[in-house]
Amino acid sequence: MILARWLAAALLAAATVGVADAQDARRGAELAIPCAQCHGANGRSQTPTIPSLAGQPAEFITIQMILLREGLRDAPVMAPFAANLPDQVIEDLAAYFATLPPGPPEERRPRDGALFAAGQALSGPRRCATCHVADYGGRNQIPRIAAQREEYLETAMIAYRDGTRAGPDTQMNGAVVGLTDAQIAALAHYLSQLD
Amino acid sequence: MAFRRVFFGLAAALMAAPALAQAPAPAAAPVPGWAVGRPEGSTLAPHAPRLTATPVDQVPIAAIRVPAGFQAELFAHGIPGVRAIAEAPNGTLYAGTRGIGRVYQIRRNADGTTATRVFAQGLPNPSGLVMVGPNLMVFAANRVLRYDNVEATPDATPTPVDLTAAFGLPTEQEHGGNHFWKFAELGPDGRIYTNVGAPCNVCEFDRDRFALLVSFMPDGSDRRIEARGVRNSVGMAHHPVTRELWATNHGRDWIGDDSPEDSLLRVRRTGEDFGFPMCLGSWADPEHNRGRACAEFAQPAALLGGHTAVLGMRFYTGTMFPEAYRNQIFVARRGSWNRNRLSGYDVVVARLDAQGNVTGVEPFLTGLRDDANQRFLDRPAEVHVMRDGSLLVSGEQMGAIYRITYRQ
Repeated sequence: MILARWLAAALLAAATVGVADAQDARRGAELAIPCAQCHGANGRSQTPTIPSLAGQPAEFITIQMILLREGLRDAPVMAPFAANLPDQVIEDLAAYFATLPPGPPEERRPRDGALFAAGQALSGPRRCATCHVADYGGRNQIPRIAAQREEYLETAMIAYRDGTRAGPDTQMNGAVVGLTDAQIAALAHYLSQLD
Repeated sequence: MAFRRVFFGLAAALMAAPALAQAPAPAAAPVPGWAVGRPEGSTLAPHAPRLTATPVDQVPIAAIRVPAGFQAELFAHGIPGVRAIAEAPNGTLYAGTRGIGRVYQIRRNADGTTATRVFAQGLPNPSGLVMVGPNLMVFAANRVLRYDNVEATPDATPTPVDLTAAFGLPTEQEHGGNHFWKFAELGPDGRIYTNVGAPCNVCEFDRDRFALLVSFMPDGSDRRIEARGVRNSVGMAHHPVTRELWATNHGRDWIGDDSPEDSLLRVRRTGEDFGFPMCLGSWADPEHNRGRACAEFAQPAALLGGHTAVLGMRFYTGTMFPEAYRNQIFVARRGSWNRNRLSGYDVVVARLDAQGNVTGVEPFLTGLRDDANQRFLDRPAEVHVMRDGSLLVSGEQMGAIYRITYRQ
């Protein structure tokens, strides 16, 4: 019901903006109201396995939404929200979330020193910062992973490793190839603890 | 709990890399193949694709430069990620993509405009398209689908015949996530030619299984290795006179801005070896040469620049362009990412003499690379000679197809 109303509003919004009107964070803010239920009122998810979107690069959100819309990224919860969304709506939503200040979830668990150190030790040889940049804030199509939810990072890396998820290219599949579950858990903890 | 996780991680890493077991190293897994040689601190990464439709006023048609007498016009737009182009017998075009998973159908209206439709979607990297008679074959990763009599029902997509098992190409997993995407071409012998890229940036691998050009009968039977040691080719064509197979080939990354270069290959004998990972032309890989003399491998017909990302190539078989272009090769260079300054982002023409030797490589379509600001306006991914002799160039980044014509 909520979904149907939101989709109708999204389609209307898309129909009423001019083609020349590029992505617009203000329009995105209105369209994003239902997203807060899962992704958090300030774009910081308070729900395990659901990612925070605050401060994500707009290109990253746009591309992921397209992959969800086209059925190329398997995320059953998101599929009905992404289905049939016009490009314009996706770009507006992305522009909005990109403007929100990033940060950890409120209930982030305390740092586990050994696990953090193990993750940190893996991050260098795995060249994580090459694409995600030194502060792990991401850029362009590459997401912010600093302070992302730990269980989400873990789930995402396992999906990349097991080939059940790919981005617009396969760099991430290559980046995590051969990692054990324990190594992924350590990396997820390390990254989730960064601010 | 945490300790156990770390312990298992460490144990697994040590088992995976027994040679390092003596070293007091942290719990690090071996460096993945694609990152071998990557300098510490490098921030080079592939450019973000654009998967949303580009408004027509943002398509950079005005920036395109072509030689005197040629004109560039916008042929089709609003087709994000467009790459490979295949033309059906009655002139309908089909275009493949990678990240957005779509195949487009493009029909030309009587007034010269085009009507596009999403022909298929949700496919994994459907970048290899080839017409076999009235049937469109789509090579995705790893799926091979045949859509029969596509032009008979222009508003409806036929249910495809799944030929994946018959072709038996390596899966994306077997490629380790590397170079699994396909190009496909129909040879003059009625066989389908395609690539099987290397399963890494550079590594040791089964040279009978990867880094190959291969051909099949259209039903997927009778696999034949056409060339070995080809790191990854995403463009092939047969010479219209000699019938020799030619292909573009990508050089490895992370070993410098200018070497090894991307290359144009001429396959003179079935099964000849172009040297990857040991050599490319006279360039010996400092890490993977294994003491081999590069002269023992087949030499490229032309070198096309470091990291230029050579993709589609076609012999010019039309009559619209001046005679000097007949049977010369147009090559789309999609443009670099693994290089400090941008290279490529253009279409070049390789000049051939009567013996089929490349005598030079000249720029043809330029203007999409902005050197001053180190940015690009579009990425040419495929060239296609229309039956009227005009040349189509797909612009993957902007989701547009440009048409080049010639008038005296």
